[in-house]
Formats: sequence, structure tokens, C-alpha cells
Amino acid sequence: MELIMKQMPIVLHSLNLGFIQTLKLFILTLLGAFPLGLVIAFGSMSRVKLLRYPTRFIVWIIRGTPLMIQLLIVFYFPGLVLHNPIWGGGELGRFTASVVAFIINYACYFSEIYRGGIQSVPIGQEEAGLVLGMTKSQIFFRVKLLQMIKRIVPPMSNEVITLVKDTSLARIIGFQEIIWAGQKFMKGDQGISGAIWPLFFTALYYLIFNGVISMLLGKLEKKLDFFR
Amino acid sequence: MKKLLAAALTLSLLMPAAAFAEADSDLAYVQEKGTLVVGITDFAPMDYREEGSDEWIGFDADMAKAFAESLGVQAEFIEIDWDNKILELDGQTIDCVWNGMTLTDEVMSAMETSNAYCNNAQVVVVPADAADQYQDVESIADLTFAVEAGSAGEAEVTALGYATTPVQSQADTLMEVSAGTSDAAVIDLLMAAAMIGEGTSYENLTHTVELNSEKYGVGFRKGSDLAAALNQFFADSYADGSMLEIAEKYGVQDAVLEQ
Repeated sequence: MELIMKQMPIVLHSLNLGFIQTLKLFILTLLGAFPLGLVIAFGSMSRVKLLRYPTRFIVWIIRGTPLMIQLLIVFYFPGLVLHNPIWGGGELGRFTASVVAFIINYACYFSEIYRGGIQSVPIGQEEAGLVLGMTKSQIFFRVKLLQMIKRIVPPMSNEVITLVKDTSLARIIGFQEIIWAGQKFMKGDQGISGAIWPLFFTALYYLIFNGVISMLLGKLEKKLDFFR
Repeated sequence: MKKLLAAALTLSLLMPAAAFAEADSDLAYVQEKGTLVVGITDFAPMDYREEGSDEWIGFDADMAKAFAESLGVQAEFIEIDWDNKILELDGQTIDCVWNGMTLTDEVMSAMETSNAYCNNAQVVVVPADAADQYQDVESIADLTFAVEAGSAGEAEVTALGYATTPVQSQADTLMEVSAGTSDAAVIDLLMAAAMIGEGTSYENLTHTVELNSEKYGVGFRKGSDLAAALNQFFADSYADGSMLEIAEKYGVQDAVLEQ
């Protein structure tokens, strides 16, 4: 116990740095995947076959393969096969590749949730809008969008919470997020070696952060309760 | 179906490109970009950081810096997932693996390796209170061994015909022994010295039998001319005493091999 107390400041400093990396990946993934998911949702609902089929094909691939493999492909493929290591080997390159892989993966999941939300709005509303002379985009932004948002909040909450924990997968390409930061003390870092507890301690960070996220999303759900 | 076919065709067209290594000199490539990216894992006393410092030091790290300087480039250290070291080299995300790497047949067939520069051994780790019973190779026959998947330790235990449990890393093998899920672990001697015993979470573990002796080397992309450049650098720095000077700084001078 005394030993742990002595190690605590160093470990916490390292875990905090790792958690900032985790947060950066989390936030950028959401910022990218929210809009991209909507684009993909429109693609997979398009009446143009040339747009619909390729989009659904991509969604099938991305949802049907492990994110870990996608990370490996995004990061190593350019250098291995195309002989053009576009990401470089440094920390920034690993981070950028992680963000790209995560955005693509989560956008595909989001797109299906969006699609469900959009299609759950009764067709009568669209017909009513058309009769009133509204354009398709007016109907989407003024009639459907808010209803869709309200309906997708619960399934989206699930995905967002999963995303927090999924960020740990990026360690496979050497992105130094919080699990990495905790695990390195097993082997030895900054004078501490053979310490197991920091790895398990990282769970607390996830738990607290996910608690905050759940609370915020719960509030959002309440705010949207003013209509059915 | 057509799309699947198209995708398969595109892939098969790209694959041959991977089979042909680049004709240009790797040395020229590194000098042109101005950095030698060194793939490492945190591994005292070879590559590690001291408390409160961001700078990589250690016998390997200091030698890598000196080698980079001799090429007129900067050494840049990056921590990698050890399982992916060949991917990292071939994908050009790193330029060399310089991290107390044991020269096994697998390593030497997949990479262009330097001459051996350091001695090492694979040792058996057991709980300290049971150590008396396990002092030779025969006495450990009935134990189950946690080993790092793909490691030199795994190869040694498998060659003896003893039962192994492969896990992710050498650090994980120690957790197995500590938790009692395996009877013993097999890891690098230099690492065992740093990771178990007093001041660690593994105070109750100790190492006993040495299963083999082996040698450390530096790995480059297959066909790279950097390996020859490094051999020359090793020979020069051994001759002028600077290699041993660095080794003494980290207490590994006895393990260093003549170049």
C-alpha cells in the first residue's frame, strides 16, 4: 500500500496524459462521424441505384469486419502495399490514422441509426409537406430532423458509450491512449516496473467519464420530451 | 457479385507491388527524410525513460542516437506494439527495431539484421518460496509455463516438450505466475532483472534456470543497406571504446559482444 502511494503521483500523471489522448480520439471521432453518418444514411436511402448499392456495400464491409483489422489496414496499407507511408511513423501519424479509422467505422453504425430514425417519421408528414409546396430539403430540415433526433437519442447513447471504450483498440497501432499508459508500468517506465495496479486503475477513468456522458445524454433526452 | 469481383481484382493487382521491395537504397531514403525512426517498447535497461523525463535513454537508445548522428540524421523513438514490428518495418512507419531483440531464425528471415551486439538468456520465473525445488531443467518438467506468444522463451519451452500457455506480452506472463494461473514463466534475463524482486509488484517471484543463451541484434527492412552501415558503426565504436563506455553507463558491459 505504501509503495502504491509512492507510485501514485507518477502513475496518475501518466494516466492523465493517456486519458487526454483517449478524449481527443473520442471527440474528433464524434465530430467527424455525426455528419458523415448522415451523408451515408442519405446514400443508403437514395433512389439512385448507383449511389445506394455502393453505399450499402461499404456499410456491410465496415460493420462486418473488426475495427481492430480496420485500424491495421488504415495505418499499414499505404506503406505496405502502395509504398507511400502517408501517415509517417510518429505519434501524430498514429493518431491521425486512428481518427480516420474510427470516423469511418462509427459513421457507418450511426448511418443505420439515422436511417431508422428518418424512416420512423410517418410518410403522411412528407406527403402533407409536398402538398403544401415544400421542397424535399425543407421537409427534411423543418419537419423530420427534430423528430429523428428525438428518436435516435437512446440508441446513439449506446454507441457513444461503446466508443469511449473502443478507443482502447487504437493501441494496436501504437496510439498511446490510457490503457497503454496504464499497462506500460508492468514492464517498467519512469522508475516503476512490475506494477499491475495502474492497468486496472484505468477502468475508473472510463467509468467516471461514461457516468458523465450518460448524465448529459439523459438531460438531452428530457429536453426533447416536450413533444411525443 | 460484380463489385466483389472488382474488389478482388483490384487487391490482386496491388499485391504484386508489395512483393517487390523498393530498389532504392534505404540509407538514402533515411538521409533524405532526415530522421531514423526507431521502433521500441519500454524495456529497461535498453530503451526506457527515467522518472519525470520524456527522453529515451538506455544502452540501445544511446547507441541509436549515436548511429543516427553518424548518418547525419535525427533519431526519433516511437513505441510500437511488439507483435507488429515486421508490419511497421515493411509499412515504412519505422526504419529499425532496436530494442533488445533476440536474433531468432524467424527474425533473421523476416528482417535485415545487424551483427549480434549483446548476450542474453531465457530464464524460468517461479514463486520465490518454491524456487528451491526448481533449480534444473528436469525439475520443471511438470510445470505449466506462461510465455509470450512468438517469443524466444516460447520456442525454448516448446523444444523441451513442456506445456505452454501463450499470452500477449512478457509482462503478462508474470501476472499469470503471480495470480497462480500458471506455475512458471519464461522471459528474458535482462528483463527479469528489472521486473521482478524488491520494489516491484512481483516481490514474491524469482528467476532460476537459464534455458539457453542467445544474442541481441538490430532489425531493418529486408534488403536494407542500413544493416551494413550499422555493422560498420558497431565495429568503429567498439574499437574506439565508445560502445563499452555507453554499456557501462547502463550496467550491461559484461553482456556486450566484441565487434
